[in-house]
Amino acid sequence: MSADGAVQNSVIHDIGYQRYDGPRLSRGYAARSLFVHGLRASFGLGRSAKAKIFPWIIIGIVSAIALIVAVVRAQGGETDIGYQDLPQVASFLILIFLAVVAPELVSRDLRNHLLPLYFSRPVGRVDYVLAKLGALVVAAWLILAGPQLLIFVASAFGGADFLGELKDLLGGFAMAAMYAVLFGTVSLLIASLASRRAFAAGAIAAVYLISLPVVAVVMALGSETARQIAPMASPFMLPEGIREWIWGNGGDIDVGSYGPAYGVVGLLLPAICVLLLLLRYRRVSL
Amino acid sequence: MNATIAWITARGLFGRSRFLLLFPLPLILIGMAWLGSSLGHPEEFAFPVLGGIGIATLLPVTALIVGTAVLGSEIDDGTVVHILTKPIPRWKIVLSKLVVAFGVTTITVAVPMLIAGIVTDGWRLGLGLAAASAVGALAYSALFIALSVLTRRPVLVGLLYVMIWEGLLSNAVSGTRVLSIQQYVISLAHKWADTSLINGTVSITVAFIMSAVFTALGFCFATDRLRSFSVAGETS
Repeated sequence: MSADGAVQNSVIHDIGYQRYDGPRLSRGYAARSLFVHGLRASFGLGRSAKAKIFPWIIIGIVSAIALIVAVVRAQGGETDIGYQDLPQVASFLILIFLAVVAPELVSRDLRNHLLPLYFSRPVGRVDYVLAKLGALVVAAWLILAGPQLLIFVASAFGGADFLGELKDLLGGFAMAAMYAVLFGTVSLLIASLASRRAFAAGAIAAVYLISLPVVAVVMALGSETARQIAPMASPFMLPEGIREWIWGNGGDIDVGSYGPAYGVVGLLLPAICVLLLLLRYRRVSL
Repeated sequence: MNATIAWITARGLFGRSRFLLLFPLPLILIGMAWLGSSLGHPEEFAFPVLGGIGIATLLPVTALIVGTAVLGSEIDDGTVVHILTKPIPRWKIVLSKLVVAFGVTTITVAVPMLIAGIVTDGWRLGLGLAAASAVGALAYSALFIALSVLTRRPVLVGLLYVMIWEGLLSNAVSGTRVLSIQQYVISLAHKWADTSLINGTVSITVAFIMSAVFTALGFCFATDRLRSFSVAGETS
């Protein structure tokens, strides 16, 4: 009965390991941390000075545009750029910002194989996707909404009609949100498919850049109907089409009677992108 | 030129399924040229399709992705150290990278340009466009390789150059056209294809000399920077 003897002689030593029985932070806390970290990373906060240069240049340029608008308005001059025009004027800058930041948020996690670590914690896949997406969209929105607020403050205190300005500002915020959601979801989806930041940034830029001339060609060649439908295919023009439908001041885009279709595409495109993102993150690897 | 480095670079570019990334854009170009030729006259769609999609988008974007990937991704990963510690002159390293970037970009861009040109207006236009894009591919590749040694964010700087400098400024301010590779390609295509469908704004001499200058400067700069390259990692 040597086995029994071994059992009787063996002892489990208590070397003082203890279970953690303090309060545990919730899953929501983890997701919130991921969101806050993503938002800070978008602006280079908490990173080296080099990482801060670029986002703050973009913020500086958009603010400079807003400042010029505010000054011209204060001098009593007329500007072509209202609250709702600012997102379109800055759309290229926002695209470059997203092409750099979206890979920063998701491609690095892929490259460094961090996803298994995240998902072995209470953070779920849905939490991860929504936190990263939220950080990106909010960052893009802030870049647009901040300068809009700057124009508002300058105008409202400059003695303009306060309520009218406020209404315009809210319209501007809505346009900024539209751009942020549309651009953000598409960019994050593309970035989540590439583990190299350079490839991801190039792919995002390629998708956006190719859409413009393609739409231009279709509009130049096609019939009246094609001219009214084609802008939907370009993320640059889709928000302007929706604006034309809702506010009727979209400027150069003629949506004809297809306004509701623009609205539907504007809702479906981000929804599909989020769905694809969730599907994509069911697998940890690429 | 070092065959092993070139081979490794090419494999890094095409590894896994990354090469699939290069396919959609050329297909869109050919598709739009075909759509245009079946719907309208060459005068209407030639410049928007060949100039707007082909020269202004497909060429720089492909060159940007490929040009920054050949050297930039190796610097990112830190594997460039393995090449730098071998007894190979720096200029040979840069030359190998340049040859691969140039070759891949040319194949991805010139072939669809050739087809799109033929669909639009026949062989002459196709060949002219293909040759001009090859020159552009060389200049862009050299520029983007130099950028990937000069800065840790080559794609960012490259995008700024392509979108802001060539895209926005060159359309508004004529002075910047002299430093825009896109304008050289348009001029060269105009000259070689001998067509009025695509009209260049800079003279053919300027286009030719400046393309050579871009290529030579990019090559020398990359070589020089690689000589005193700091391998210290940074994760900003």
